Amino acid sequence: MKKNLLTIIVSAVLALIFVLILFVFQVRQSEVAVVTRFGKPVRTQTDPGAYFRLPPGIESVYKLDQRIQNFEDAFTETYTSDNNNLLVTVYVGWRIADAQAFFPKFKGGSIIDAERNLKDIVTQAKAAVVGKHPLADFVNTSEKDLKFDVIEANIKAIVQDQVTANNSGIRIEYLGIKKLGLPESVTQAVFERMTADRKKLADDLDSQGISEALKIRSTADREAAQKISTAEGEARRIKGEGDAVAASVYPVFQQNPELAKFLLDLESLEASLKERSILIFDSRTAPFNLFTGGLTNRTNK
Amino acid sequence: MSNEHPHSPSPLPLDSGAQALAAALHSSFGIVKVVMVLLFGLFLVSGFFAVGPQQKAIILRFGKPVGEGDKVLLGSGAHWAWPYPIDEVIKIPITEVQEVRSRSHWFLQSAVQEAQGEIPQAGPSLNPELDGYALTADGNIIHAKATLRYRIEDPVHCVFDFSSDTNQTFGLAGISNAVLSVLDNALIYAAARSRVDEVLLDKIAFQDAVKRRVVKLVLEQKLGVAVDLCLVETRQPRQLDQAFKNVTDAGQKRRTAVVEASSYRDKKLNGAEGEAVARLNSAQTERNDMVSKIRGDADLFAKVLPSFRANQELFVQQRLVETLGRVIAGVDYKMYLPTTPDGKPIELRLNLNREPLKATATEPKR
Repeated sequence: MKKNLLTIIVSAVLALIFVLILFVFQVRQSEVAVVTRFGKPVRTQTDPGAYFRLPPGIESVYKLDQRIQNFEDAFTETYTSDNNNLLVTVYVGWRIADAQAFFPKFKGGSIIDAERNLKDIVTQAKAAVVGKHPLADFVNTSEKDLKFDVIEANIKAIVQDQVTANNSGIRIEYLGIKKLGLPESVTQAVFERMTADRKKLADDLDSQGISEALKIRSTADREAAQKISTAEGEARRIKGEGDAVAASVYPVFQQNPELAKFLLDLESLEASLKERSILIFDSRTAPFNLFTGGLTNRTNK
Repeated sequence: MSNEHPHSPSPLPLDSGAQALAAALHSSFGIVKVVMVLLFGLFLVSGFFAVGPQQKAIILRFGKPVGEGDKVLLGSGAHWAWPYPIDEVIKIPITEVQEVRSRSHWFLQSAVQEAQGEIPQAGPSLNPELDGYALTADGNIIHAKATLRYRIEDPVHCVFDFSSDTNQTFGLAGISNAVLSVLDNALIYAAARSRVDEVLLDKIAFQDAVKRRVVKLVLEQKLGVAVDLCLVETRQPRQLDQAFKNVTDAGQKRRTAVVEASSYRDKKLNGAEGEAVARLNSAQTERNDMVSKIRGDADLFAKVLPSFRANQELFVQQRLVETLGRVIAGVDYKMYLPTTPDGKPIELRLNLNREPLKATATEPKR
């Protein structure tokens, strides 16, 4: 009896596995399943879990990746509204939004086919939107005038409208500009202009250096002269003070101007004969009058 | 007494072949049962799995992640899950901080050249298919590359909402691509609103602008990551290295000229300051000397006035002789002209000439 029970359990497990394989399929978090009955899509399962199905031959299950696909297109030349040739590349985040529409549209739900189709739509949308904007909307010192976000939103809207109109079952999650460029020949012209700009800048810096240095030097000369001039004025004022003090003393000499003059003469004489002087005396000058007996003669008289 | 049941049929006699077949089937079923039990045991044991140090694991039960938020991620160590098809274990190479590097706007440079800091030779132009670059607000061209470090904030979203490849495998390649696209966009956006000199000279401001744009786009596109660090490197096109160097040299020359002029100014003003002070001191000294002298003269005058008044001639003679005595002692040449016997002074003739002019230049030979 025991042996029979074990046999029954094992058989039941085997049968269960068999049934599960035949009648149940699993959908993972990242997937969406399309169930076809005799080749015709009949339903989709977007939520993760285990689901019932009819056995193969009647129903087939196709699992598609419903995660966001990051797609980048190639450089394409487009003209801005002011006739500048601009190369633009965008990146697109898209996902399968309607698997039942997506599955028959692209062979076996092929992501590669879908992106090939998307590439054409994006190229057209880029050309349409870029052609409505001048170059200043792509490069501008004013963040307000830079229209990156508007341009990206417009391209995204056109792409979304197009895939919706095509019933592709695709939803565009995000779209952004990845690269901006210029045709190769234009880059050379830009380099020539940049070289000229740099040369002008270098020349400007040279002349600015000379000018600034000259300003600093001349200002310094003026300020130095001003300082000395001010000091000179102050020095004169100080000397004037001395003169004023001297003038207050002069009345003393009024007591006897003859003596005052004599004392000044003596002082001048002494001061003027200090260096490199030749003094010639005759016999009448004291004390050389002694040689002619000046004092004796006077006494004899 | 018979031991046979009256209703039970008596077993049919088996021939030896049938007996051998029955024995073989019996033993085969036994083996199958043992194998089944072993397989079942193996089935249960196979649920154990290990998660490495640089890994996280997510268990999908019937396709749905087990747990919520951060609990959905299983850290390193041993874990158990129901075997497939009940549970499915997904291992993701995930580190604390993720990193992407943008080279879309940098010139063509191999990894080896980049590691060695080698700059490849530049042609006269840039091929947009090979050489990346960005346009600046003033219509110039620059190269920029960036490294972005970020953390995964919503692992379920990052793993299950961004496709890693077309084989429906799980990983972080999908979110990494999305973040890289955002970083590429941020670099050209920041360059497009900056002048070339702002990009090349104020690199911190440019780096901040790139990071701000990345953070904005990460939120708008709901990427489920948090930006930690954004490092940006910029340079002028290789074709213009010499032109930019000339500007740098000119700037240096300008600074040198200004510094030299400033040095001259300091020297000049300090000299003037010193001279001004010297002049003031000199004036002060002169004033003091004059005042002292005049006062001294006045004192002397007051002292000698009585003597002068007492005997004017004697006073004069005395003072004159005293003064002459001092003067004569200091004079270099002294000449005395005696009187002739007839009382007339001797005549002295002096030939006074100017000093001869010094020769300033050699006259040309005739």
